[in-house]
Amino acid sequence: MARVVEQQPENPLLAGLRLRRTPEPCALVIFGASGDLTQRKLIPALYSLAFRRLLPENFGVVGVARTEASTEEFIERMEEAVKEHGRDEFRQDVWDALAEGMRYVATDFADEGGEDVVVEVLNELDRERGTAGNRVHYLAVPPAAMSTLIRELGERRGREGWTRLIIEKPFGRDLGSARSLNQQLAEHFTEDEVFRIDHYLGKETVQNMLALRFANGIFEPVWNRQFIDHVQITVAESLGIGGRASFYEESGAIRDIFQNHLLQLVALTAMEPPIDFTADSVRNEKVKVLRSLHTPGPKNVVRGQYGPGFIEGVEVPGYREEEGVAPDSATETYFAAKLYVDNWRWADTPFYVRTGKRLPRRETTIAIQFKRAPHPPFEETAADGLRPNVLLVHVQPDEGVSLAIGAKVPGQGMSIRTVHMDFLYGGAFRTGLPEAYERLILDAMLGDATLFTRTDEVEEQWSLVDAITASWPRDRPSFPNYAAGSWSPPSADELIHRDGRSWRRH
Amino acid sequence: LSAPAELEGWTGHDVTVADIERQIAGLRQASAARTDGPDLRTSVMTHMAWVPEEWVDAAHETLGGLAERHPSRTILLVPDPDAESGLDADLSLRCFPLHEHHGHVCSEVIELRLRGDRTRAPASIVTPLLISDLPAFLRWRGRPPFGEPELVQLVDVVDRLIVDSAEWPDLPEAYGELVEVFDSTAVSDIAWGRGLLWRRELALSWPRISEVRELHVAGPRADALLLVGWLRSRLGRPVRLAHEDADALAAVALDGEAVSPPRGEDRSASDLLSEELDRFGRDPVYEDAVRAAHV
Repeated sequence: MARVVEQQPENPLLAGLRLRRTPEPCALVIFGASGDLTQRKLIPALYSLAFRRLLPENFGVVGVARTEASTEEFIERMEEAVKEHGRDEFRQDVWDALAEGMRYVATDFADEGGEDVVVEVLNELDRERGTAGNRVHYLAVPPAAMSTLIRELGERRGREGWTRLIIEKPFGRDLGSARSLNQQLAEHFTEDEVFRIDHYLGKETVQNMLALRFANGIFEPVWNRQFIDHVQITVAESLGIGGRASFYEESGAIRDIFQNHLLQLVALTAMEPPIDFTADSVRNEKVKVLRSLHTPGPKNVVRGQYGPGFIEGVEVPGYREEEGVAPDSATETYFAAKLYVDNWRWADTPFYVRTGKRLPRRETTIAIQFKRAPHPPFEETAADGLRPNVLLVHVQPDEGVSLAIGAKVPGQGMSIRTVHMDFLYGGAFRTGLPEAYERLILDAMLGDATLFTRTDEVEEQWSLVDAITASWPRDRPSFPNYAAGSWSPPSADELIHRDGRSWRRH
Repeated sequence: LSAPAELEGWTGHDVTVADIERQIAGLRQASAARTDGPDLRTSVMTHMAWVPEEWVDAAHETLGGLAERHPSRTILLVPDPDAESGLDADLSLRCFPLHEHHGHVCSEVIELRLRGDRTRAPASIVTPLLISDLPAFLRWRGRPPFGEPELVQLVDVVDRLIVDSAEWPDLPEAYGELVEVFDSTAVSDIAWGRGLLWRRELALSWPRISEVRELHVAGPRADALLLVGWLRSRLGRPVRLAHEDADALAAVALDGEAVSPPRGEDRSASDLLSEELDRFGRDPVYEDAVRAAHV
């Protein structure tokens, strides 16, 4: 006889309540907690989430690193970090509530068994703070430690609750190592438990690219090869390598920025509209773009390395003079390329991308340059000051969007000049933009992977990087080839001038 | 949130709308000339407020906390029907520094004193001052005179009417008049916003709450009426209200059993108004609650 199942009626009180997404109770474990990222970004992000009451009530943070320190010392250092780097005013009550659930474990997590002590602390947190066996492990560790840590975490995952892994870049250093990491992860975790972070995707302005394209009727019809002449994407940094010489010598600009941030910006600019805003729909479209990227030949790629120069009036050394860098280093600190997205929408439309260190200023922009008006009916001289329309997305700083248009200069006669229509986040909304890490940590706690990189995306990215760098070991580039404080090596200008175009003016 | 960097002002007696427009433009030019970089006028909305004399101080206080989050052109209308006919204006420009930018973002505050018969057709004064193509919100301070020309006219030119029914002396009768406005414009009630955290808390009591017979509320009368109206309308059954007057929503009990207070901070009048200015469409759950509160 069929069993009658009594259906629970839907709760009518929930209608219109605008319930905020709140994560389930959980503990966040930061591996590599003595590093710069934890102090500058992760703990300040957690404080901002606590400040806005976005963290679950039952929550704990476990910092794990090799450095010997007590929990009290760790908390004290993190409090200073929040005061220095936090975006919100410091409130002692908010901090105290967060710090109450904080623990520190000094252990070598790369060692077999190094994880046991962490598991003990987590079990203790479950009992004391009600974190229910739910874990978010944040892996901000050197590549050499990643493999052991993944295995240790996989073997020790608890029977109760869920486990998620946030993995900081670099995710491998080539296709082979990325695949091997993915395979290791797959042995212990499912894809929806793995959150490969690219903090650019957590930036409001990067997400605004999706809003700009898919929430406005006027852009999408002209977002294609018929109307767009080319796209320029710039990720410029004025800083040098800081204390990261050993990392940077291994990675260079192509692995540090191009493989992840720049290719993600290309994908968001070029992707087709997703059917909805779920993780798989968005990532499916992005991966199609990455698959369509044509490998640029050597002529369409430029490498550079900075020599001595001046940044904001201060004399700075060249890359080879930086501490920890080989005096004959061939590592690139500048990378530019002309890419083509081989599909119906973008065929023959170049995407010029560039990134570099010690450039004159910090700036990340996506510039969509439209084709010129076919036949301006003005005297030739009238339009001297006229440049093509450019839709410029300022990712940072000056977050916003501006559109360059031609306008008549007031006065007798007809003279036309390019002016900008600006939308600045600060001007329109006046609320501070959340830090990328706030959004991403919260999303991982909620299990929303939309803004994280999927296995196939990361493999497509590395496959392109491998194809570009295949010939590099055989070359001896003539470095340094640009001065710190200048925009690029001359060959980067030649790359774009050959096509009758030029890099955007700054 | 930082304080305004610049405060420019102008006051005029017996002015015209053209005077106001000219003076506002002048203030903007003066401000831009004194600062490094361009001053941007924000373009989010026109916020209009009908502020009888006794509400002027409260309105200024709320506005002070609001300007940075919803920079807009604000038009404060202060009616003074017994005075000699005329229009006085007090204009100010509030500019805030833009982080990482040179320049400022500015919002304009136009305070108009409508004297004598100028109170009869307020829409004809504010319509030319609305910023084109942007939504317009009307915050009505105190008890709105439902059906009277000044309200009807202003409702006609705005996208949303915002009230705080806790400011009304004749509840629940006034709710009966409020429901008549629902088909003309979207309505927000700050008293409804104040109760949001409690409603979330009560919703967690489902399904036990479905059989509730009496709701006890210690708080402002409006907040209590809206809470019981919400329960009646959502549950589709009668719920008795036992009300105990208090300045803020302090305690709620279901059939004598206390509900644990919701987690969350008290929000200021500016926060509450700010939240209402984020909404555009009608709120059918609120409208149903008002209808049921009036029963």
